[in-house]
Amino acid sequence: MSKPTGNGVNDKLIAIAKENNITTVWDRFMLQEPHCGFGTLGICCKICNLGPCRIDPFGEGAQVGTCGADADTISARNLARNTAGGASCHSDHGRDLALTLLELGRGKAKDYFIKDPVKLRKLAIEFGLKIDGKDDLKIAEELGERILREYGQQEGELTLIKRAPKKQIDTWKKMNVYPKGIDIEVVETMARTHVGVDNEYKHIIECAVRTSLVDGWGGSMIATDLSDILFGSPKPIRAEVNLGVLKEDEVNVLVHGHEPTLSDIIVTASQDKELIELAKTNGAKGINLAGICCTAAEILMRHGLPMAGNFLQQELAIVTGAVEAMVVDIQCIMPSLPDVAKNYHTKLISTSPKAKFKGIEHIEFHEKEALSIAKNILRQAIENYKNRSSKKVNIPKEKMTIVAGFTMENIFHNLGGTFRGTYRPLNDAIISGRIRGVAGVVGCDNPKNESSMCHIDMVKHLVKNDVLVVQTGCSAGACGQAGLLTPEAAFRYAGDGLKEICETVGIPPVLHTGSCVDNTRILTACCEMVKEGGIGNSIDELPVAGAAPEWMSEKAIAIGWYFVASGIYVVLGTPLRVLGSKNVTNYICDEIESTLGGKWAFEGDPIKAAQLMVEHIDKKRKALKLNSLMYAAA
Amino acid sequence: MKKIYCDIKKCLGCGACEIACAVEHSKSKELDQSIKESPAPIKRRKAESISQSVAISTGCHHCDDAPCVAACMSGAMYKDKKTGLTKHDEEKCVGCWMCIMSCPFGALTRQKQDKIVVKCDLCPDRDVPACVEACPTGALFSGTEKEFEIKLKVKTKK
Amino acid sequence: MQYVIIGSSAAGINAIEAIRSKDKKADITVISDEKKPLYSRCLISYLLAGTIDEKKIWYRPDAFFKNNKVDAILGVKAEKIDPDKKEIALGNKKKIKFDRLLVATGSSPKLEKIPGVDKKGVYPLRTMEHAVEIQSMLAKVKKVAVLGGGLIGLRAAYALKNRGKEVSVFVRSPQILSQIIDKGSADIMQRHIEKKGINIITGRSAKEIKGSTSLSSVVLDNDSQYDCELVIIGKGVNANIDMVKDAGMKTNWGVVVDEFLRTSNKNIFAAGDVAESHDIALEEKSINAIWPVACEQGRLAAFNMLGENKIYDGTLAMNSLEFFGLPVISIGITRPKKEGYEELIKINPERNVYKKIVLRDNVIVGAIALNSVDTIGIIGALIKNKVDITSVKDIILEDYFDYGKIVNLIKDVKQGFKEKEFRETIMTL
Repeated sequence: MSKPTGNGVNDKLIAIAKENNITTVWDRFMLQEPHCGFGTLGICCKICNLGPCRIDPFGEGAQVGTCGADADTISARNLARNTAGGASCHSDHGRDLALTLLELGRGKAKDYFIKDPVKLRKLAIEFGLKIDGKDDLKIAEELGERILREYGQQEGELTLIKRAPKKQIDTWKKMNVYPKGIDIEVVETMARTHVGVDNEYKHIIECAVRTSLVDGWGGSMIATDLSDILFGSPKPIRAEVNLGVLKEDEVNVLVHGHEPTLSDIIVTASQDKELIELAKTNGAKGINLAGICCTAAEILMRHGLPMAGNFLQQELAIVTGAVEAMVVDIQCIMPSLPDVAKNYHTKLISTSPKAKFKGIEHIEFHEKEALSIAKNILRQAIENYKNRSSKKVNIPKEKMTIVAGFTMENIFHNLGGTFRGTYRPLNDAIISGRIRGVAGVVGCDNPKNESSMCHIDMVKHLVKNDVLVVQTGCSAGACGQAGLLTPEAAFRYAGDGLKEICETVGIPPVLHTGSCVDNTRILTACCEMVKEGGIGNSIDELPVAGAAPEWMSEKAIAIGWYFVASGIYVVLGTPLRVLGSKNVTNYICDEIESTLGGKWAFEGDPIKAAQLMVEHIDKKRKALKLNSLMYAAA
Repeated sequence: MKKIYCDIKKCLGCGACEIACAVEHSKSKELDQSIKESPAPIKRRKAESISQSVAISTGCHHCDDAPCVAACMSGAMYKDKKTGLTKHDEEKCVGCWMCIMSCPFGALTRQKQDKIVVKCDLCPDRDVPACVEACPTGALFSGTEKEFEIKLKVKTKK
Repeated sequence: MQYVIIGSSAAGINAIEAIRSKDKKADITVISDEKKPLYSRCLISYLLAGTIDEKKIWYRPDAFFKNNKVDAILGVKAEKIDPDKKEIALGNKKKIKFDRLLVATGSSPKLEKIPGVDKKGVYPLRTMEHAVEIQSMLAKVKKVAVLGGGLIGLRAAYALKNRGKEVSVFVRSPQILSQIIDKGSADIMQRHIEKKGINIITGRSAKEIKGSTSLSSVVLDNDSQYDCELVIIGKGVNANIDMVKDAGMKTNWGVVVDEFLRTSNKNIFAAGDVAESHDIALEEKSINAIWPVACEQGRLAAFNMLGENKIYDGTLAMNSLEFFGLPVISIGITRPKKEGYEELIKINPERNVYKKIVLRDNVIVGAIALNSVDTIGIIGALIKNKVDITSVKDIILEDYFDYGKIVNLIKDVKQGFKEKEFRETIMTL
């Protein structure tokens, strides 16, 4: 009944789940098939109670909803609201970190520290604060307040968006999509897409663009920078991925979700001698902390802790029978987890004041008592170890070593060596034709695809064509499991030019840059590339491209949009739900390029999609009159 | 005779059957592609409202004594002697619309570009008709009248 | 049992199939004056128009008679029925015995009784032969006069326009298609046809056709002349009743039949264009010389010849036409000539849509649908079942009126909708 996954580890665990009558995401996916065509095409509207209304995509039946909205209006409104949903999630994530920073500064969140004081001061200056003579905590307090003000700001502009090249800013102002504040733009999108407000599709798409900028150059960027300040800026680090990281003889604790505020404290708690001792008295050899989803990326980037699995593997992690506790916060957590967990001893604990689940014990997390809450959670996990049934334990052998922890500050320090910490070497490599360009391959994994295979196939094709790949989130997890995130992968998969660079510097051809909010690291890198010069005076001129081959969340839509808005060509594996409107599809996949410089494309075949990206990069190289590739084969 | 039945109690009128039908009868059989085709694919099944909040998915009933077959002047519409189904030979159809004139269910549709009529063919390329598979509530059923009656009884017992 | 059928078009063919479906052994003889009668008469104008090729005109395959084990006497005219001896005299002097006889002799085109109507170049359009002859002279024809604005006249005009000829249609009455639809819908259709390049002159008829070896012109009733090389006469049809009338059975406009489609002789039945039977909408005896009625009557008469005693609900006028992409379908009474009828009309000139429902005591007796025809069959079902439609009267002309809207009616008036397919739809209601 369930869908083939194309992944050996997953298939084995799915078979075990089946034997025990446990349904997983793949079973439920099949029960949803065929997916509603109206929904898929974006032409059903549930915004008001005149409906729900649908447009007949074949032209025979209704062509407008009860209010008169046509396929253009309906699909544009849906798209704008999806974007607002995604932007809200990321911005809220950023807001929580700003609040933590503020609490820390005010002396109330004593378990947190300023781990990157240099970055704190840099960011404070960027936000226009005077830092002379102030200590870290004072700056933290003022910066926290200053950032939170920007959330509620009703006029003016965002601070971090000023990092963008002048041409991008001019374009946004000209197109009337330059954001005034963070929350206001989300609210305005919701207001404008209410029944009977904004109806002209291009005008509605402006909302989507503006709201996405609030995400990429606002909330998400704040989240990344504050995470670095609070939990330390990542450094290249070796780690392991896949469900094989679970340990037969240790207390396995999985942190799942997105925000590092709790997970990072749990990392500290897991090193507590008392707790390790408790684990031993309970018969375990120690505490094994690992992550799922973007939380995994956060603790992986900063502490080298293992990433047990991607979004799609969250249920399978429980099916291994070896997980004492799964601690969840927000975003991408399947409500199905309790149904899976009831077949095992695994304890599920929800922690965010914003997210509760039916059938999951809630231990609410507060910054003020962070460490004691973290210890409490770990204690419960340890005490649960004795309930593990060895008969039910099926830990897969598969795990893979990766190198992660790349940021826009550190990658090219590595590339140029300690004394030439600039983007010059990267730009030179592109100009000389050793590297064709840079591609961001990011996003979720989705049962619509053979799980992870789209990421892996796409990335292999890109590096073969000398495209340096940067990754985040579950996409990085997928490629990590496939062995693409090791320096050795350059020898196996990369084209000759890229291989040379990787070999010289000792980096993988595919660079893991963090969680999904950390996609902003890619934006920052683009700005640095422009600043360094020689490969374009604005982001849209750079030989770069982006992709989310298995996207599923609204966050992915918001991310895609801020890349498109920033001048980047973005390829999705499954289309945005706009195909029911030829006008909207044509606008966002073609026409909009003339204003924004970026546009969307939809291609289900990952190799063909990668080829589209290669062709786009070549087009940009040609426009820049760059040399042909040094080792052009493809 | 095996054909499609609709349980009105379960039909929500969502139109999933319509889309699945049109896509199945498109050239590409892919939703994304089918909406770009010319002539546009035509659904042979329609989700219709009976009254507020009561709906039915309806199409060709493959009538025993089919009025469309009697009315067809080109011999395109015929009864399959083996299966009892009402079949339509597009090659012979001349687009006179006599069948449309005589169908008591309004179950036939004009394909204007080629001037032929189209109707439910129970998806000859599939085991289960596309509309039945697409129905999210299981309101649509493919089988004999007996089988449908049994299914309804089992449900009410539960 | 010896079954004999005179005529091998719609009614005859369907009768053969019906007999064979029930009785594999019976002797069946069919007599037709055409050598190859198995074509669809309605498609002749399509053939002339060149919109279908000759292959498509064959309603049944060549081997039809052989497959059904029918003794087919083709190209021979049946001349006389002797009801007492149960014998038919043929044009070739032979005689055929019957136990049960079906008269399906059809109808013949009415010809204008004006001078010159017998000249070469003047044709009705009824048989394959007519089509073949017209086609053979088309090369020399530039202009055509069509006399009559009915179904056949307009189909001929459409066909010849399609062949690149200059066509003018002369219609005696003030509207086209006066036997089929009302003036409102006819006017929309007329404008549409004229826009496509056919001249239509209403209120005008011909009084003479001129020419010697070939035609030269038609003289009209206002003494003006219309030059042309071809004249098509489309003035309707007369039932071929002579043989039955001579044999002493009851005839009127057609051969009068009862509710079993039996003539006044118990062994002789009639079906198709020749039969005058009960009309559901008019509630009196009438002839509806149309294909679906002929098929249905042929089948039903055959069953009754087999002794099944099936009651015929009656005939109903029904026509489906399309000219240059504009379709119109009419059913039953569309232009009530008596008191006591109610008309509901909806017109959308922008979309060329015209819909009309004719009611008698809230029961539909007729309908017209122009350019919005896909659900007209539902109205047909309501006419046939004589259902009081008061509950759906206010939505019956709406675009969203569909089968779903009569489901409750079917539930409430079960006895009206007797076919099991109706019951199937309400099983779960």
